[in-house]
Formats: sequence, structure tokens, C-alpha cells
Amino acid sequence: MSERQPPLRDYAIIGDGRTAALVARDGSIDWWCVPNLDSPSVFGALLDADRGGRFTLRPEHVTDVRRRYVPDTNVLETTFTTPTGRVRVIDALTLGGGGLAPLRELVRRVEGLDGRVSMRWKVAPRFGYGLAETRLEARRPYPVATSGNTAVAVCAWDAGTLEMSSHGVAGRFEAQAGMRATIAVVAAYGEPLVFPARDDVDRRIDATAAFWRDWSARLAYHGRWRDAVVRSALALKLLVFAPSGAIAAAPTTSLPEVIGGERNWDYRYSWIRDSAFMLESFLQLGCAAEAMSFFWWFMHATQRTLPRLHVLYRLDGGAHVPERILPLSGYRGSRPVRVGNAAATQLQLDAYGELVDAVYQYVQRGGQLGRDTGRDVARIADFVCAQWRNPDSGIWEVRAAPRHHTQSKAMCWVALERATRLVEAGLVPGRRAATWAREAAAIRQFIEDRCWSDARGSYVWYAGADGLDASLLLLPIMRYDAPDARRVHGTIDAVRRELGRGALLRRYTGDDGIAGGEGAFACCSFWLAEALAIGHRRRDAEDLIDELLGLANDVGLYAEEIDPASGAFLGNFPQGLVHLALISAAMAMHAGDA
Amino acid sequence: MSVWGALAGGFAGTIVLTTALAAGTQLRLTRMDISFLLGTAFTTDRTRARLVGYAVHFVNGLLFALIYYAGFLVLGRAGWKLGLLFGLAHAMFAGTTLVNVLLPAIHPRMGTPDSAADSSPLLESPGFMLLNYGRPTPVLTIAAHLAYGAIVGAFVAVSAH
Repeated sequence: MSERQPPLRDYAIIGDGRTAALVARDGSIDWWCVPNLDSPSVFGALLDADRGGRFTLRPEHVTDVRRRYVPDTNVLETTFTTPTGRVRVIDALTLGGGGLAPLRELVRRVEGLDGRVSMRWKVAPRFGYGLAETRLEARRPYPVATSGNTAVAVCAWDAGTLEMSSHGVAGRFEAQAGMRATIAVVAAYGEPLVFPARDDVDRRIDATAAFWRDWSARLAYHGRWRDAVVRSALALKLLVFAPSGAIAAAPTTSLPEVIGGERNWDYRYSWIRDSAFMLESFLQLGCAAEAMSFFWWFMHATQRTLPRLHVLYRLDGGAHVPERILPLSGYRGSRPVRVGNAAATQLQLDAYGELVDAVYQYVQRGGQLGRDTGRDVARIADFVCAQWRNPDSGIWEVRAAPRHHTQSKAMCWVALERATRLVEAGLVPGRRAATWAREAAAIRQFIEDRCWSDARGSYVWYAGADGLDASLLLLPIMRYDAPDARRVHGTIDAVRRELGRGALLRRYTGDDGIAGGEGAFACCSFWLAEALAIGHRRRDAEDLIDELLGLANDVGLYAEEIDPASGAFLGNFPQGLVHLALISAAMAMHAGDA
Repeated sequence: MSVWGALAGGFAGTIVLTTALAAGTQLRLTRMDISFLLGTAFTTDRTRARLVGYAVHFVNGLLFALIYYAGFLVLGRAGWKLGLLFGLAHAMFAGTTLVNVLLPAIHPRMGTPDSAADSSPLLESPGFMLLNYGRPTPVLTIAAHLAYGAIVGAFVAVSAH
């Protein structure tokens, strides 16, 4: 079974701001949720090679595969070399543009480059993660698959005679130099299908590429790592759920943190923490529209729970995210396959600091803060004052008993410090500012007294702990300490020494309440690079970033984790937090340049 | 019996019918979206199509109420039970002829059985009894029209007193 589930490193993402698909190097689309990122999959072979459904398109005999994104776009270009010729496949989820376009449109265009190449393709849709009944009908003008109020049609032009079976729609054709064949899978949800005209499909592919190029051209980064930063920004843009402005952590669920393991989580939700980082990155990159859209979304989504924040919210802003297990075989046998996320109701105190910091950064860069939002910030600060003494689950959402995590305490300090600054700017009511200042001082006292280890010369994972935690690198990044502070440098060195393996870092050492191991968290390594840059160790930071960029896959994407031994990707893919950390590290170096 | 009663019944009945179909969509029973279907005959803009479609559907609802009213006049009586019968006939006509045959024939963006290679229909046709939009669609459509007919019949009967 596993050979039919390629390594995660082999995937690239395409998307349209509403949903996303993963395309493997071998030409198989193994993940596509319809109509939205967090909907059930129509192609879900990623999680069950037998039941999940997929869309394969490839030459019969392949000797070489080269891939890239059409420069500065989210349109994928795969060139297959065969003994008899070469073909290029263009993959895109098109943007609607003007006119009556399908609700969602997944397009694959085959272009003959030279010689003659025998191509095979097959569309095997399976609704509801492969668990719902899928009815396939040979309708005119196109075959249609339906399940409930979701439907897809398979529209093919110059792609051979369609062969229908109970498994799907298939075809074969010969691609000659100069010819083009196009296959579009169009989807409808709660409405009739819209069938595209071929010219319109071609026009939409070109318009989609043009949109992405224009969007990339507006990014305000022109430094040494431009390609990597632009690719990361493009990947992040695919995680922005355009209908609401929410930002998903990743487009996938249950890709394992270790093959065969049980650390399999659904990341198709918006984490307040990631999103606060995202807001800052978008602001740094000059994406004011995305930043404002997201800011409005999260202030709106959190209204029902304020001043308490849920750890994560649904993309439509809902706070109810029940976790359940699907009877699927999982990626390479990694079970359980989960949808929903039980971490939603954990107490994670760090999110408060990250959110208030995001508000502060938003204002610093010209964003407007209404009176109501100012009052909300004040309520959050009061809540932090009342809660910071409690143990929490921390940034890593450990499912062991709550602890006094150092990073959580530091982010509580950040929340109160930024709230005080906003009071000074006249944007937040300051009636309780003196209390906030007093509590901030108490938090600092707690951290310095109970979360510092003289023996290690470093802050530690949690109060009284012996072990370290890579999220401690966020202390200098979030300006808990001065960049040159002795304790900052001590912590950076200790984390690197004790959690590092080459360029990669483990999250922590010790028990987290879940069986099994995990790979190295890619975001932590970029945090290390940023912390080094902030701490005026630019040469170290540059070398580290260069090394880390070499660990991306062939199209510049990262999964949540990387196996330090094999370099294999692990965890959900592509993960927004890694690409955020990459951008942030590069921008920190860029700030140094300026 | 009053024509105003028929129009009021038609308005209320259309609200119920539209709401029932929308609920069917949300409950994943059907892809029948009457406002989208009707509106795309006039515009390719999705949002505008739904707005136009709602307006057209309400006008249709009033026109059909007037046809019901004529039927009640001819029969010399009205009531929710007779309205139910009218609603059933209305649903059967809509599913077999109105939406299945006539709408594709006049809808500029919908395919018909005659569509050939020289045409590029944009919109999925409903099929017999609207089955293309999901198996439960006929049941839902008939139920919605029964409700519409009963409401119109009841309003007309009440207006007679």
C-alpha cells in the first residue's frame, strides 16, 4: 500500500483561496477537499490509498520528472521525460474571474513538448473521505459523480475516449509536440454544476497565473532569499480561506509526526497563535489587505469567547471543533485518522501574548483600532492577570497534565506589556494599567526565579524542569529580553546544543503524554535563525538559513517536521508555521541589512 | 374568494417553498438552487444571479397563485386540501415539464439533450424530476409544492370570509 502513497516530500500544493490540492511527483492528485479546505475530501488517497480516491495523470513510461512552480505563482508545472518524448503538465485550481465559472475548478493541461508520449489518466472521486456513497453517472455532456449535495463533473478535451467504470473515468491519448489536452474536474456544492468551455478554462489558467504573479510582485522583500520568501508567502496565501479571511495551519489532516504513529492531527483550522504570527508576516511583507482581512476575522471570531480565547477556530469562525476518528487506513498505516481537534478547548496562555502583540504590530504599521477592539484588548489583559498563575498545556499542546510553561508565562508578560503600550498610545482604556504593570512584574519575577537554570545557563521548559524547549527561542523574538541579554544568549546556545541535530531542532525532551517519537520541528530551526539574527549573530543565522533552505522539497515547501536522519518530511503539509518562521527569519536579517 | 388573498398566499407560499429548498441544500439532500438556476438565465455573475433569481421566483410564485385562484374560481371552492392537490399537480408539472424541458429550452446557459459539439452549455440541467440534483430532490420538491399549494388554498379560502 505504501508505494501508492508517495513520500510527503513528493507533494506540491495548488489552491484557490478556498480549497487546496496536493499533487505528487508521479502525477497523482491525492488530496482535494470540496468545497472548502476543511470539507471532506473528494480525492483522499493521501489518507487511504484504497478508498480515498485520486486523479492520476502520467505518461506510461517515465524516465525523469522535473517540477517547478510557474515563477512567482501557485500554478504547478511538471515535465515528464520518457523514452519517446517529453510532456509538460500544468496543474492549477483556477480563480473564478469574470463570467459564470464552476464553483471549484481543478485543471490539468498536458502540453506536448517533443516526440510522442502515451498518456494515461483516471479520475476516481470518492466523497466524504472515501466513506460516503459515490454515484458515478455517464451523463451528457460530461460524466458526473455525486454524493449528497456535492457533485463533480469530469470535462476532458483532446484527452482520448472516455472510459467509464464503477471506479471512475479514465482515458488514454498520445501527446505529440505542440498539442494540448485539458482535463478539468469541476465541483458544485448545493447548486447545479457549471460546465466550463475549453477556451474559458485556458483563459482562467492564464488569468490565475497572472493573478499570482501580480500578487507576488507586490511583496516587500527583495533580499538574498527572495525566492524562498516568495514561495513561502505564496504557500501561506493558499492557507488563507478567502471567504472569511481565516488562516488554516495546514491544508491536511492526520499526516503523521512519525510513520505508523498516533500523533496525527487535523490542522485545517485557524490557530490564534499561528495567525498572530501570520498577521505580522503579512504586515512585514506589505500585504495590508490580507492582514486587515485576517485582523477583522479573528476579532470577530473571538467575540463569542472573549476574553477567553479558544486555541483554534473553524475557518468560518465557529468555535465548536469536535474531534472524531475516521475508519481509514491512514498515511502509510498511520492511525488514527482524525478530523476535528480536541486541543481546541485546552488552556494555552501563550496565545494571549501572541494575539495582543499582533494587535500592537497591526497598529504600529498603520492599522486602525476601533474603540470596541480597544476594550477587547483591555478585557484580555485583565483575563491574563487573572489566569497567568495557572498551569497550561503550552504552545505544543501537550496532552500530559498542565504545567507552568516558561514560554506561556513569557507570552503573558508580552500581553500585558503590549497592552500597556497601547494604553500609552491612547488606543486601549487604561483604568487598570497599573494592575497590568504590577502583574507583568510578577510574571517576570516568576520566570527569572523559577524558570531559569543556573546549571544549564538557560531558561527551561517549565518551572522546575530540567529539560529545554525550542519555543524558548520565542522569548528574544517577542522581545521578552533585550537582544544582548546574557540569559538570551545562554538559552539560544543551550537549545542549539541540547535539542539540535545539524540544522534541525527537536521541540523538547521529556514526556508529553502521547506515545511514540517525532521528527524535528522545522519552524524551531527558523526561530533559532531569527533569534541568532536578533542577537547580532548574523553570520551564524545566515549559515543556518542557507542550510535550512536546502532541506525544502524540490518546489520549496516544508512539512511540519523533518526526520533528522533521513530528511523525510513528517506531519501536515505544507505547514504554515514553518513558512511563517522562514519569512520572519529572512525579514529579521533584512532588518539587519537596513 | 379574493385575488388579494391569492397574492398574499402566493407570497407566503413562495417564502415557505424557497426556505424548504434552501434547507434541503443545507441538509445535504439536494443541489437544487432555484434562485441560481433562474438568475443565471439573466447574468453570469453568481451573486447578481441569485438576487435576480429570487426576484423572478417570487414573481413566479405570485403568477402561479393567480393560476390557482382561477382554478378555485372555476371549481367554486377553495381550501388547503384542494390547494394540496393543486400543489401536487404543480410539482409534477415543474419536475417533468417546466424545469426539465421548458427551462433548458429557454435558458441560454443550460444544456439540453440536443446540445452538440458546437455548443458549450455552462449549467447542469435538472433532468427528469430534477433527479440530477440528487435523489431526494423530487421528494423535497413535491413536499415544498404541497406546502405552497396548501398555503395558497388556505389564504384564498380565508379571504372568502
